Amino acid sequence: MPRYHNINGVKVQFTAEEETARDNEEAAWENGALDRALTRLRVDRDSKLAETDYLALSDNTLADNMKTYRQELRDLTNGLDTVDKVNNVTWPTKPS
Amino acid sequence: MATYKSIAYSPLSNAGSQVLLEELTASTSATMSFTSKINSTYKEYLFEFINIHSGTDDKHLTFQVSTDGGSSYGLTLTNSNFSARHQENDGTGSIAYTDNDVAQGTGFAVIAEGLGDENDGSASGYLQLYNPSDTTFVKHYISQFSLMNFSNPPQAVNYFTAGYFNTTSDIDAIQFKMSSGNIDAGTIKMYGIN
Repeated sequence: MPRYHNINGVKVQFTAEEETARDNEEAAWENGALDRALTRLRVDRDSKLAETDYLALSDNTLADNMKTYRQELRDLTNGLDTVDKVNNVTWPTKPS
Repeated sequence: MATYKSIAYSPLSNAGSQVLLEELTASTSATMSFTSKINSTYKEYLFEFINIHSGTDDKHLTFQVSTDGGSSYGLTLTNSNFSARHQENDGTGSIAYTDNDVAQGTGFAVIAEGLGDENDGSASGYLQLYNPSDTTFVKHYISQFSLMNFSNPPQAVNYFTAGYFNTTSDIDAIQFKMSSGNIDAGTIKMYGIN
């Protein structure tokens, strides 16, 4: 399928050189998919860890189930070597 | 006796105006570009994005500018991004600095992250480009988007970007494209701000 620019409302077909450049750009994008997925997962994981950081202060005794929960969050990325695995990760349940 | 057809009550009557310069409609477009009408007429250009729909899942909306009328895009830029996100099932929610920041790069800058390709998914928002024809200062831009991202279930994302093109050359064209794939549908309007 040829690609098209929309330049000021005018449809302009890519040149052969532009097609090659875009193919390379898209291949590079796809190669970075796992890294991007892991980065997003870590953002969410870090946010969940931060929610319980106050329980881990030195003047508080952390309950065992909370220790386990926080460790499971830290270990969440272990073995995630495909985008599908990252997108279908099972989050640990936060103790009530 | 005079007949008055209208009376202007607005206290902001001298506050300037927003002039629609051009409107582009995507149709499986690999790129969308404005290569005319960006000049010294206006000190600010506003780009309004309405229901930008990605052709494929998990793609970013990006942009770059040109100083040669659109022959090439790749000015040096530095920017930062952050986002607030919340999943439809209330599963995850976070606010975070994102890893799409750029330090003196020449690639396309991300202004909306991780668009999904669900039929009802899209991104809407705006980008402001300041004083593109100025030849003394760098060129600043700010954008904000609301989007439905690709997660399962999807997330509502509030995506913020700000930065500058590190050039004192005259910017005269701008291009938008997805990080991969096409912009399937959507409208981009370019306004000049007086």
